[in-house]
Amino acid sequence: MLSAKWPKLAPYVFISPFFIVFLVFGAFPIAFSGAVSLIDWSGVKMGEFIGFRNYINLIQDPDFVRAVLNTVYLLLLSGPLTIGGGLVLAVLLNSQLLRFKGLFRTIFYLPMAVSLVVSALAFTMLLNKPFGLVNDLIIRQIFNQEPIDFLTNPTLAIPTLTLLIIWRYIGNDLVIMLAGLQSIPSDLYEASRIDGASPFQTFIHITLPLMVPFILFDAILTTVNTFNLFAEPYILFGTEGGANQAGLTTGLLVFRVSFKYFKFGYGAAMAYLLGVVIFALSLLQLRVGQKD
Amino acid sequence: MRYQMLASKLIIHLIVGAGALLMLLPLYWMVVSAFKPLPEIMTVPVTFIPVNATLENFKGLLTETFFARSMLNSTAIALANVVLQVFFCSLAGFAFAKYRFPGREVLFTLVLGTVMIPQYVTLIPNYIVMGRIGWLDTWAPLIIPGIANAFGIFWMRQYIATVPDELLDAARIDGAGEFGTYWRIVVPIIKPGLVTLALFIFSTSWNEFLLPLVYLRSKELYTVQLTMANIFRVQYKFNYHWAMASAILATLPMGILFATLQKQFISGLTLGGLKG
Repeated sequence: MLSAKWPKLAPYVFISPFFIVFLVFGAFPIAFSGAVSLIDWSGVKMGEFIGFRNYINLIQDPDFVRAVLNTVYLLLLSGPLTIGGGLVLAVLLNSQLLRFKGLFRTIFYLPMAVSLVVSALAFTMLLNKPFGLVNDLIIRQIFNQEPIDFLTNPTLAIPTLTLLIIWRYIGNDLVIMLAGLQSIPSDLYEASRIDGASPFQTFIHITLPLMVPFILFDAILTTVNTFNLFAEPYILFGTEGGANQAGLTTGLLVFRVSFKYFKFGYGAAMAYLLGVVIFALSLLQLRVGQKD
Repeated sequence: MRYQMLASKLIIHLIVGAGALLMLLPLYWMVVSAFKPLPEIMTVPVTFIPVNATLENFKGLLTETFFARSMLNSTAIALANVVLQVFFCSLAGFAFAKYRFPGREVLFTLVLGTVMIPQYVTLIPNYIVMGRIGWLDTWAPLIIPGIANAFGIFWMRQYIATVPDELLDAARIDGAGEFGTYWRIVVPIIKPGLVTLALFIFSTSWNEFLLPLVYLRSKELYTVQLTMANIFRVQYKFNYHWAMASAILATLPMGILFATLQKQFISGLTLGGLKG
């Protein structure tokens, strides 16, 4: 009996581990999370059903508004720099004039192999006031200026985080942009060269329009990653997000509410609301990705 | 024309070279700081090359903190993740690539769909569930939920699709059986793909921070990333010398893998880049 049925059953058995794990640690938690978010659940005791009050409290919570605004600010600052920087870098790395391409590419990929905690530690060391390399050697000795308080000045929290993000993630953008450039047929460049277009004109009129799908894809990916960001602000600023909560991001706030104050119901509502936004953006990303 | 060409060549090398130097600067500073005694780290003007180079930071880190233990813990967790995920993902990838069965397309779409579930949403309920089944403060939450994941299955399906069907048919006629065909025919052929996936899983597990932070309480169970954050943020504040030494040691396994398997490593990172 078994031998006759086995070949038909085999594929289901082979894929079953995924579905078992998904049901227990994926599908069930999603449903459960939705239920928890409607409950006043703090600490060890499960509270009573309170409907959508967690969600209503959420949009009136100054911490939540603060975290969302900080994250959006971070996105507006770091997004264009990493995406634009990645594109320009990819074009330069693709240029026939450049030598040691492999070496350069490896160097730009290198930070991706370094853990988030290590990269955040490296930046606290680099940007320290007064004995970080940037403050002492570059700002004080070379430019003869006052040291800059990168890590504790509230106005600089998000810009400092941006520096770290550019360093850590530009390799990601580079991967996507290099893949995109490969998709552009080389005879287009040939034709533009024969027409006597300058490299800048070629970039504006040929590369840029054809790269739009990849830029969009990268933009959505960056948005999702920014809303998920956790380890970097945690190491740089701590769970409170630093002075004036200037470095408080959405990822940090969900963690703080849920695992420091153990407000599971409120944390779940926050996670759900952010989750829906991230999920919608991922869907959009998938649609954009499929158009290529 | 000749000169113009030369000038553009020079400019491109200057721009890309300067960018590359900026990328290396934080790593350089981390490495040299790890070899400076604490007073020298905290001295102005800074020393670009250590004046009193020392290995004391590493010695202190390994003897006075639980860092060495954490390195072993992270290695054990990462290896468990690699073995389980490579096995279950390639097995499922094999089924999706080489079998025709009712529901295949729907199930595969469902697998891919799970990529879009944000970690946030499952974090709190999973914490409650893990508490109920007694898995808090164990390594199980860092290993079990991920044993078969969409990303690995997708990658293995693409890879196994390139294995010729004739080979599989021949094996079946020889009586290799369904699992035997996978184990003896498919696995040897897809080894390069398995290595890339293994590297990707190892580095993801090694670098994971949020899950250990949420689930682990006992210091004896801490992972490297958690211990590093603990050394720097909580327990020994401002011990920059230990923090930098730990950052070096924590990056070392990745560095060795990067140097020896550079090609696979870069395609692994590329996987990660596209995944986000």
